[in-house]
Amino acid sequence: MGGAELGQIFVNAVLLSGILALVALGFSLVWGIMNIVNLAHGAFIVLGAYITFFLHELLGVDPFLSIPVAMLALFTLGWIVQRGLINQVIKAPLLATFLLTFGLELLIVNLINYFFKADLRSVTTPYSGTGFTLGPVRIPYIRLGALGVSLVLVAALAWFLKSSRTGRAIRATGMDIDAARLTGVKVATIYAATFAIGAGMAGAAGSLLSMIVPFDPTLGGAYTQRAFAICVLGGLGNVANVVIGAAIYAFVDVFVGARLPSLSRAVTFAILVLLLILRPQGIAGKSV
Amino acid sequence: MGFLALLALLLALPKLVSSYKLLTYTRFLILALMAQGWNFIGGYTGYAAFGNVAYFGIGAYTTGLLMIGKWHVPFFPALAAGALLSACVAILLGLPILRLKGHYFAIATLGVAEALAQVADNWDSLTDGSTGIDLPIKSEGEFFYYTALGFVILGLLATWAFARSKIGYGCVAIREDQDAARMLGINTTLYKGIAYAISAVFAAIAGGITAYQNVHVTPGDFFKIDYTLQMIIATIIGGVGSVAGPVLGAAVYQLLSTYIWGRFIELHPTVLGFIIIFFIVFLPRGLMTVIGRRRKSGERPFKASDLLANVRAHRVT
Repeated sequence: MGGAELGQIFVNAVLLSGILALVALGFSLVWGIMNIVNLAHGAFIVLGAYITFFLHELLGVDPFLSIPVAMLALFTLGWIVQRGLINQVIKAPLLATFLLTFGLELLIVNLINYFFKADLRSVTTPYSGTGFTLGPVRIPYIRLGALGVSLVLVAALAWFLKSSRTGRAIRATGMDIDAARLTGVKVATIYAATFAIGAGMAGAAGSLLSMIVPFDPTLGGAYTQRAFAICVLGGLGNVANVVIGAAIYAFVDVFVGARLPSLSRAVTFAILVLLLILRPQGIAGKSV
Repeated sequence: MGFLALLALLLALPKLVSSYKLLTYTRFLILALMAQGWNFIGGYTGYAAFGNVAYFGIGAYTTGLLMIGKWHVPFFPALAAGALLSACVAILLGLPILRLKGHYFAIATLGVAEALAQVADNWDSLTDGSTGIDLPIKSEGEFFYYTALGFVILGLLATWAFARSKIGYGCVAIREDQDAARMLGINTTLYKGIAYAISAVFAAIAGGITAYQNVHVTPGDFFKIDYTLQMIIATIIGGVGSVAGPVLGAAVYQLLSTYIWGRFIELHPTVLGFIIIFFIVFLPRGLMTVIGRRRKSGERPFKASDLLANVRAHRVT
């Protein structure tokens, strides 16, 4: 492996880690606060991708400008799903929410497939495929933009959770639901907000992904698994952990992908399982 | 009495229906077998195993490779070998994985299944990669039906015996409170390992029979997550942690599935999603609660309003 290839792999990993952080952040929030592994996260990502695609295709909206639309739409959907469905069984044993969100994933992905067909789609703009070179390393503008948007959203969410009144209520509910209720937090509303923010983040991630990779309705499943892996790597608890987890995952993924493309998923999962067994609290994080 | 009548009907079935219909009934029995297996680890022991398709695949490949290859092992010994290998793999993998709890266990099993699928896909010298392997052809539908039926009946007896055994009670104790179970002197690692290995054996037998019946075995067909889901959903529809639940659930699932496949092929997953959501929200303990309550004296019959009881118990306001 030459220096140029190494440099390209390094840059690819950095560019990938931003979007993976965004993918994993909403997932981690819902898991950490509500103790729900949301298997429909991938379906939310796909919905975001389709919103961007159709806004660009039909109305000519620039894909970057459609991100807020996707976020708002998914935020609303997330709120409805949480209040209407998940909230009904949230205190039931784990298998219930696990399967419920899986059922949702199945349903959403199939409906997208039914209405929009399984064609492979991609959002192509005049600046797609353009970029600049830094020595031997090539950096596409879109990936750089995606990294920028991801970092802004991650930072915004970190600030929101740390400093805003709602954000503090969300964290308090995650720490101790009964104590939070005693201090006047409306738990059901906070749960709905948490889930909706998670879905909104997934929507933004989907928008960005639609510009970077060709996608079809099944795009999301792999990202749900990646989000899980990242949460395990980083540990739950705070935004920084997710970013660290995403960076580690991106580097492993890109390096393994460059050396052993056909076994990349097996290797990634083997690492994940090993890590789960050896260090279930995550590399960076506190105990979960 | 009712049970004997049902058994007689099932035994006479190949004479009564067309060979195409018989295929559907065989599929129901295979699903019942998988669900029965999942019930040991997921139902009685309460561990959300999401990768049991791995053992389905191992069973299918072991049976297939032994039957072709240079040995030409007969079907039943090959099937037994597949079951044994699956049990060994389950114990080896289970030792580390069963220490994990909750979501972590679920995803670890899912990961193992994914990884095994890729191994089967890439190990060309043994499995012929994604091309797959071809077994000897046997076209007697009745043979597969009766084989599956025999194993399902064995499975019912095994589940019944398990639920009344020391190990069965130990597993239920682990499900309810693992730490308390350990303090009572239950060897939790051993019991969980046994339950997991049993579930692997059932999946492997189902896989072996399906492989022989389908003739062609590929990683894509025999390691797909759909099988894992079907066995879990069938168990939940029937009733988690009950003896007859998985079989009842498999029957209902197959009925719905066949009906839906026929009517709206393209929307099959959507309807499946609705079924999952309905059962999780309204009937999380399965149909056995509806049927079971009527029979036991002293308990009031199941009422429509009971559908909302789960919602009332588990929502957050």
